[in-house]
Amino acid sequence: MQPNTVDTNWLNQIFAPLHDPKTWESAFGYSTKEPWFFTEFSFLAVFGVFLVFYAALVQKNTWRKIYLISFSLFFYYKSSGPFLGLFALMIVSDYLFALAIEKQQGIKKKLLLWLSLSYSLSFLLYFKYANFFIHNCNGLLGTQFTDHDLFLPIGISFYTFQSISYLMDVYRKEIPATRNVSDYAFYMTFFPHLVAGPIVRAKDFLPQIFTPQIINATLYKESLLRILTGLLKKLFIADYLGKYVDIVHELPANFSGAENVLAMYAYSFQIYFDFSGYSDIAIGIALMLGYRLKENFDNPYASSNITIFWRKWHISLSSWLRDYIYIPLGGNRKGEFNTYLFLMITMLVGGFWHGADWRFIFWGLAHGLALAFHKAWMQLSPSKSNPGYSRVFGTILTFHFVAFCWIFFRATSFGSAFASIEQIAFHTQWKDFVGFWVSRQEMGIMMLVAAFIAFFPPTLKERIFQKTQLLPAFSWILWVLIALQIIIQFKDDVVQPFIYFQF
Amino acid sequence: MFRAGNDPKIIGAKSLCLKYFCSTLADKEHQITPDLASTMSAKASTVTGGDAHTQVPQSEAGADRPEKSSPWLIVWAGLSISLPLLLLYIYSCSPQTLQFGQLELKQILGNQDIDAMLAELDEKEPADAGANHLSGSTTTANSTDTPLIVGESVPFLANNSNNNFTLPPYELPVFADTTKHRILLIGDSESGGLRYPLNDYCLANGHKIILSLEWYSATTFNFGRSDTIQKIIAKYKPTYIFLVFGLNELYARDLKARKIAANQLAKKLRGIPYAWIGPANWEEDNGINRVFQSSADSATYFMTKKLTLTRASDGRHPDTKGYRIWMDSIAGWIQTSARYKMLMKPPRKRGRPFRAPVITINAAKYRGY
Repeated sequence: MQPNTVDTNWLNQIFAPLHDPKTWESAFGYSTKEPWFFTEFSFLAVFGVFLVFYAALVQKNTWRKIYLISFSLFFYYKSSGPFLGLFALMIVSDYLFALAIEKQQGIKKKLLLWLSLSYSLSFLLYFKYANFFIHNCNGLLGTQFTDHDLFLPIGISFYTFQSISYLMDVYRKEIPATRNVSDYAFYMTFFPHLVAGPIVRAKDFLPQIFTPQIINATLYKESLLRILTGLLKKLFIADYLGKYVDIVHELPANFSGAENVLAMYAYSFQIYFDFSGYSDIAIGIALMLGYRLKENFDNPYASSNITIFWRKWHISLSSWLRDYIYIPLGGNRKGEFNTYLFLMITMLVGGFWHGADWRFIFWGLAHGLALAFHKAWMQLSPSKSNPGYSRVFGTILTFHFVAFCWIFFRATSFGSAFASIEQIAFHTQWKDFVGFWVSRQEMGIMMLVAAFIAFFPPTLKERIFQKTQLLPAFSWILWVLIALQIIIQFKDDVVQPFIYFQF
Repeated sequence: MFRAGNDPKIIGAKSLCLKYFCSTLADKEHQITPDLASTMSAKASTVTGGDAHTQVPQSEAGADRPEKSSPWLIVWAGLSISLPLLLLYIYSCSPQTLQFGQLELKQILGNQDIDAMLAELDEKEPADAGANHLSGSTTTANSTDTPLIVGESVPFLANNSNNNFTLPPYELPVFADTTKHRILLIGDSESGGLRYPLNDYCLANGHKIILSLEWYSATTFNFGRSDTIQKIIAKYKPTYIFLVFGLNELYARDLKARKIAANQLAKKLRGIPYAWIGPANWEEDNGINRVFQSSADSATYFMTKKLTLTRASDGRHPDTKGYRIWMDSIAGWIQTSARYKMLMKPPRKRGRPFRAPVITINAAKYRGY
């Protein structure tokens, strides 16, 4: 090549995918390998184009609704494929059930509620828990049932809970059943919350269908900021920390106690940034379309006790568990013993909801015990004053308890979880921390950054958020570009799998 | 804390922009006030399901603002997401990457078809006519007998400025499958383990390891972009090269850049018989094996990842037994189906002392390019 000529052949490559049938197949087809999530760049690109057309329909309520429902269904198809049919079936039947429940009175009403609830739950139970029960049945009773080859439809845990909350609310007459099936479909399918929450309540969301937010410059900046912070939290911080966590948790026994301790911290931050980042993106996307979803996280790690932690962690789930399990069971109205019992049951369900494995049940149990212990402690402890040092101590204790429980959440099996705990308990040496810092400085810095953000005072966060409002609207394209490049810069960064320098 | 409507002083203190923000958010009809503060700090009210239905006073600045969503703003919102992605996509199509000093701006690879990418890059860098740079004068080799040389102190490696280093010519003997070879072992930490069983094989078959270059933490970039290998070849004049690395790159996804580096590396080896041993995967990689295989000449790449090896306590490196099993498989392959065959009968005695010089470099300290 001559030094003066510029090779422009690569420019043709830009349009090459347009001529390739594979591109179109992957754009409209469903593939289990590449389900759509908010963090997929392909989704974000399509979402940008989607918004341009959305602008034309934003003033027309009906068209806007139809457009959103069809895009949501397409989104669900992209992530779950043929299970779209199941989802649609569930929507239509829940809609009919709700109408019937509203009309009936007395015992019939109650029966209908139970019928509809068991119907909704049956899908979740089958797809998520069938194999778990089969395994345990085979193990306990020596039966020979074979596994079902099941693919868990994406988001089923979330939308089942959503439909349960809707049916219960209609039963309790907190909201009227929707008269129009499209309204209900809109509430259920709305794609920002479809795949991984937040679990939206019908009474918060349905009114917004008719009166969406006014999309102005402020809302635009706020929503874009939410999306960007979410992307950075998920793809930059959480994924980076995850690389280290994956390495340690593959074989915890092979790593020193210090490395296991740090993996425990790293995972605590990873799961927080992962999920709260995802929720941020979901809330930001919904906001950009003119709908406000409830917050899902509120600085949970800064909580000074476990009860407050559960008020701030995955709020949409914990409040759901409280409103639809703990309170219907009897809450704290049926005596002291029952209160503790209900607390345990609620947390067990919460644990089991996360996955069909004994580890999650154990995790729920541990949290239930901690909540009960805290409740008992509050009743026994005479002093109601809450001085600063006890809050700091409480925060540290709560964080460490939560982080410890995450080991069971992350580990691949009970054995591996106990191996990790054993390393932490008996093989932790100070020099290994120094070794970690020497050989994995980037990871150490990332963990410090994550800790700083997780324990950051929320008032300061607000102030920063307000400051970003001062940035002119046209400049945001640049911030998006910078944020995306940061993500790309660190996405492929290979984290050395070894603690040793010498590899 | 800023909560619209509660503290007019704070609102007043903020700029006009914030005033506009408060006023336009005030939705008179529906009383929905999604103020920023309540979003950011969803207090217990969110938990209990209660909404903060605060009413925002209509400020003068906002009185004449339209109360409808602005379609142009939504278009702009769409563009502000798609355009940066489009820009990044176009950038990722470009063969050149932008550099700001030490910082190289990476490209998105996304869901690119690895095979297509490999094929395309191979077309761009056609195979040269082979060892045209290897013909010339005859120089006999004299390997130093220094037992261990550590990276920074290697005099001929220290000068890093000369990137266009060309190999001084030397003549390779005519090869037969039974030729006694002068073997150069190059690799990352795996070569440190593999050199012992390789040594056993060499002693049993009359070959000689003339040098083992152990470049810890090294990746394709170190081997491909630097001229270190050429310098070492020029100095030690091997007749057969063992190349073993890639364990640091199993998780790599920037395969395009690595492919380019691997091609550069393959170019450097051209003319000398070599065996390119793939990394001892402990789990599936993201395509680095395919990159190496496509860059290596046909039948010169040994796919290690198919082997089941016993591992050391780190769970990743093979242990002593694992390295032996690995070397046994390599030896069988070199005798039978490798492109450059040589005598590799199993040794009777194992675990013999390794006496060849070893150069150890750490990629964290010496990058080479």
